[in-house]
Amino acid sequence: MFALHLTAPAVEKPRMKLNERSIAHYATSDAPADKTGHLYKKGERNPAYHRRWFVLKGNMLFYFEDKDSKEPIGVIILEGCTVELCESSEEYAFAIKFDCMKSRVYKMAAESQAAMESWVKALSRASFDYMRLVVRELEKQLDEMQARCQRRQPAVRTKSRPGVGIGAVPAASPQASYNRTNEETVQFMPTVPAKENGVAWNKPSEALNGCIYAGYDGGRPPPVPPRRKSGGGGTVSALESPVSPGTSCFDKLHDWYGKEIIALRDEWLLSQVDGPPSHV
Amino acid sequence: MRFNEKELLYLSRQPSEKAAELGMKGPKKGDVPKKRLVKLVVNFLFYFKTDEEEPIGALLLEQCKIQQEDGSMFSIIFFDESERKYQFECDTLDQCREWVESLTRASYEYMRKSLIFYRSEIQRLTGRDPLEQYGISEEARFQICSQRT
Repeated sequence: MFALHLTAPAVEKPRMKLNERSIAHYATSDAPADKTGHLYKKGERNPAYHRRWFVLKGNMLFYFEDKDSKEPIGVIILEGCTVELCESSEEYAFAIKFDCMKSRVYKMAAESQAAMESWVKALSRASFDYMRLVVRELEKQLDEMQARCQRRQPAVRTKSRPGVGIGAVPAASPQASYNRTNEETVQFMPTVPAKENGVAWNKPSEALNGCIYAGYDGGRPPPVPPRRKSGGGGTVSALESPVSPGTSCFDKLHDWYGKEIIALRDEWLLSQVDGPPSHV
Repeated sequence: MRFNEKELLYLSRQPSEKAAELGMKGPKKGDVPKKRLVKLVVNFLFYFKTDEEEPIGALLLEQCKIQQEDGSMFSIIFFDESERKYQFECDTLDQCREWVESLTRASYEYMRKSLIFYRSEIQRLTGRDPLEQYGISEEARFQICSQRT
């Protein structure tokens, strides 16, 4: 006797779960959008173009029935895609194409040439990947700046008042350090050719004051060893100079400030995500 | 809400910043902790049944807070549903801390803030806008002020 071998009916694979409620909330939250506007979107099965209200936030392109809708109809996740102009019966048409095989092409049309160009630009740079690329590049630049400073000769001190040239300040005795004025900053001889004569840049202090950053923009400055603190707020990031211009001292101080800056930055960044951000 | 599932599936197969087998408990009452392969790709946290190719689901890590809990656990709390938590159990405290750190930095918004920070630091130190060479200085998403449309 042969047993009848029945194949079970193909079970439809359940759709991947997504935290849809929270994502929909993200779409309508006060978090500022990168771009909004009306676009025509070609239907999936229906070849007609439908006018929808689009909201771009980060790498998520939400679309609503209209501008006043409370909930998005859907979202297009913009990772691994390219945006290009395309042939279409519609004017100002463009398409969002994905890298993955058998992927759906999203055909869209804007309401003007300018709108189309603006959307294409915004959408093609919307991915998380792209943002990360730019961040890493800037991080690298900042690291390189720090590394360059570390390799340089230690500071030649000068007063930052205009017209005062660099003179080698005799090695400060601990006593002398207490007499320094508020505006004295530690300046470095930049390797940029324009500054060959060694005159320190007299830019306002928020510009290059070497690689020592003291807090930033009125934020909490790093703890200074007990001595008279530089008074006066504003954007003067004047520093009490290190005890001596000796290399080892500078390196230690630089390291120390460097760590402090990283900690400050991380703290600041984390505080922005702690609870609803103030500008959300 | 419709979404491009195929593309999300494709994304779940991309190299991840972080992946591990963790205990995961959903936010609903009555959800029990289950062993899941948890994988972080860009700002999505995918979760798979171990040894399965396709994820059961994904969490978009925007508008949420990552919280360290007692006992090598952490939770993801979305701002719109603060009473509901997705809870994860790690093997060690160190692993837990690493996950909390990685997930906290995983949002697009966090990345954007980092970029704005670096941009303004470089500008402050050099007087130069580092984004100019890429021709993206005017892009809304890179602006320091929070007004974007």
